[in-house]
Amino acid sequence: MIEIKDLKKVYNGVTVVDVPHLEIKKGESVGLVGNNGAGKTTLFRTMLDLIRPEAGEVLAKGENVAGHENWKNYTASYLDEGFLIDYLTPEEYFYFIGGLHQQSHASVDDFLAGLNEFFNGEILKKGKYIRDLSKGNQCKVGVASCLLQNPELLMLDEPFANIDPSTQFRLKSLLKDLNKNKGVTNLISSHDLNHITDVCDRILLMEKGKIIKDIATSSSTLNELEEYFGVGQTISVPIKVDEEENH
Amino acid sequence: MTSTFIRHELKAFWRSKNTGKSIAIRIVMGLLLLYLFINLLVLGLFLNKLLEQVFPHDDIVISFCGLLLLYYLIDLFMRLQLQELPTLRVQPYLQLPVKRNSLVQYLAFTALLSVFNLWPFVLFVPFILKIIATDSGGIVALAFIVSIGGLSLFNNYLALYIKRKANLNGWIFLIAAAALVLIGLGDFYFNLYSLRKISYLFFGRLITSPALALVPVTLGVVMYYLNFLYLKQNLYLEELGSRKAVKYKSSTEYPFLNRFGVVGDLAGNEIKLVLRNKRSRSALIMGLLFMFYGLLFYGKPGPQGSEGFKVFVGMFMTGIFIINYGQFMFSWQASHFDGLLVNRISFTDFLKAKYLLFTIVSTGFFLLTTPYIYFGWRTLMIHFIMYLWNIGINTTMVLFFANRNYKRIDLSKGAAFNWEGVSGNQWILSLPLMITPYIIYFPLALFHHADIGLAILAATGVIFILTRSFWIKQLEADFYTKRYKIAEGFRNK
Repeated sequence: MIEIKDLKKVYNGVTVVDVPHLEIKKGESVGLVGNNGAGKTTLFRTMLDLIRPEAGEVLAKGENVAGHENWKNYTASYLDEGFLIDYLTPEEYFYFIGGLHQQSHASVDDFLAGLNEFFNGEILKKGKYIRDLSKGNQCKVGVASCLLQNPELLMLDEPFANIDPSTQFRLKSLLKDLNKNKGVTNLISSHDLNHITDVCDRILLMEKGKIIKDIATSSSTLNELEEYFGVGQTISVPIKVDEEENH
Repeated sequence: MTSTFIRHELKAFWRSKNTGKSIAIRIVMGLLLLYLFINLLVLGLFLNKLLEQVFPHDDIVISFCGLLLLYYLIDLFMRLQLQELPTLRVQPYLQLPVKRNSLVQYLAFTALLSVFNLWPFVLFVPFILKIIATDSGGIVALAFIVSIGGLSLFNNYLALYIKRKANLNGWIFLIAAAALVLIGLGDFYFNLYSLRKISYLFFGRLITSPALALVPVTLGVVMYYLNFLYLKQNLYLEELGSRKAVKYKSSTEYPFLNRFGVVGDLAGNEIKLVLRNKRSRSALIMGLLFMFYGLLFYGKPGPQGSEGFKVFVGMFMTGIFIINYGQFMFSWQASHFDGLLVNRISFTDFLKAKYLLFTIVSTGFFLLTTPYIYFGWRTLMIHFIMYLWNIGINTTMVLFFANRNYKRIDLSKGAAFNWEGVSGNQWILSLPLMITPYIIYFPLALFHHADIGLAILAATGVIFILTRSFWIKQLEADFYTKRYKIAEGFRNK
């Protein structure tokens, strides 16, 4: 589905993303974890052709995302509120997104009816523009617009961050369902280790732009991650510094 | 504290993404201002000679006194259009231990740093020193200078007050400008009263009782205080964001756009953008104001009015939205530009939607100018030619510049402290838009081939309209080389 080759992004002499090789297969559910500044969002943005990498390429179905637009047909993503057109009502926004995928208003309405539980009565027919919604509700709109596109690849950046606990659980089961039953490839970043290990089969751990761990989720994964983020930090730092100087 | 604010503002200026562009604009502005300064200085130095020639039967002091009120009316009108509101992003300071008064004082005080406050002194002080000081003595001269200062102060803060109010409600600007125009017309068109007599009523008396100079000063101080209070009262986050979301916001559709498919959807979204955000809505309402420009310039009905003016005014009236709104493209969409990029929207459609939007609005404005047929068929024909020019060439030019605009506009933020719309700088950027038709028209008109000039303008417009798809391809190719930079600039809050 996705292949990354020698990808490198440098800001002011600091390498923020450095991924020599990464392959994500169709139907995988991949979680991305890492502290602030590890390069998660930057990696997402390069994968979505929003920023130009200094070197390397991102291939979606074997085609470079930069310079091609075919990936837009099967990729849905929500990174932040900057993806939403905030002066539209949620309905207008959904119709717009649906229209881009040749869906009629009626079919969009049908689809949204299925998300009633996820919306929890906060989104539709509230008479508000998206900009007047809270961050959590904006996130719901963003995620729902992704689902509406029937994507083969779904990319979400910290979807659990602003939403309430009930919605977090609903979102988790939605994501699992998409992956297991519809074969959607998920790529999700999060700071919530519990959620991410629950939803994803494979965890990528990023630090200073590099993917330092690539683990298939098992019962010990959560412990392993907690160790890294808790105590492990002090041990790994000196090692990293050496590697930085090597190249 | 004020010095800290100034330091922060300087940093904001130097560290902004658009610093290069801003500096270039400032240099051009500086040169223009210098030129204006020299002109006004010369005018000021020879004002007494000039008044003698223009009003040979009147005493020059009387003519001078009559002129002052008129000057300040024009001054106010110009300030409304050109003076910039001093801005400071106040939000980060509000929760800090910074006194509200010092914030507001800074905002109110820096407002004085406008060249508009320099002109009356350059223009009138030489005359006052040369004529009034010698005729009536130093004290009267001082009274005149103080009055001029007071009136400048008054105009300065009145203009800003109106502009701040107009930010929240574009109609206020329209009403204020219309009132000024009506006051002018009342004298020169309908002859209801004489502004010069009214002006002399006050300034003439100033010669006999110089203490009256306190009146304009008081007016100025009161206006300053009003401004101060208004700013202070509006220094709340809620009001800065001005979100009172009480009204139920319903979804709208424009069935007429449906036939254009995705392009229509995109254009529909942009129409909503214009109508649902204060700043962009002001740009549209401002356009309605320009519908009256013809009345100002065409003067008497009939075919005798200068056609050069009509080319200019016609372009303005049918294309003001393109200039005013297009100026800031694609910044209007900065807050969701990433979303547009990752969605299934081809840039060709995106551009087509812009063309569609401009065509719709320009057509509307052109239809609004049809009453100008009162000034003759030719007038309407010129308007139509300039309309073709606008939707042919100016749209393309505006989009070309849009590819070079990396500055974010945050529409969701309140407009009261965030006014980048109508200011002197904007007109500099629109200079190429306004000059190009003249490069074609003027040389021909000069040699009495105005008709050929108009024909060429019309033909060029039509050719550009017919070759739109070609220009869209060029713009698209251009965009692909710049889009990372644009997107990055727009992400940069």
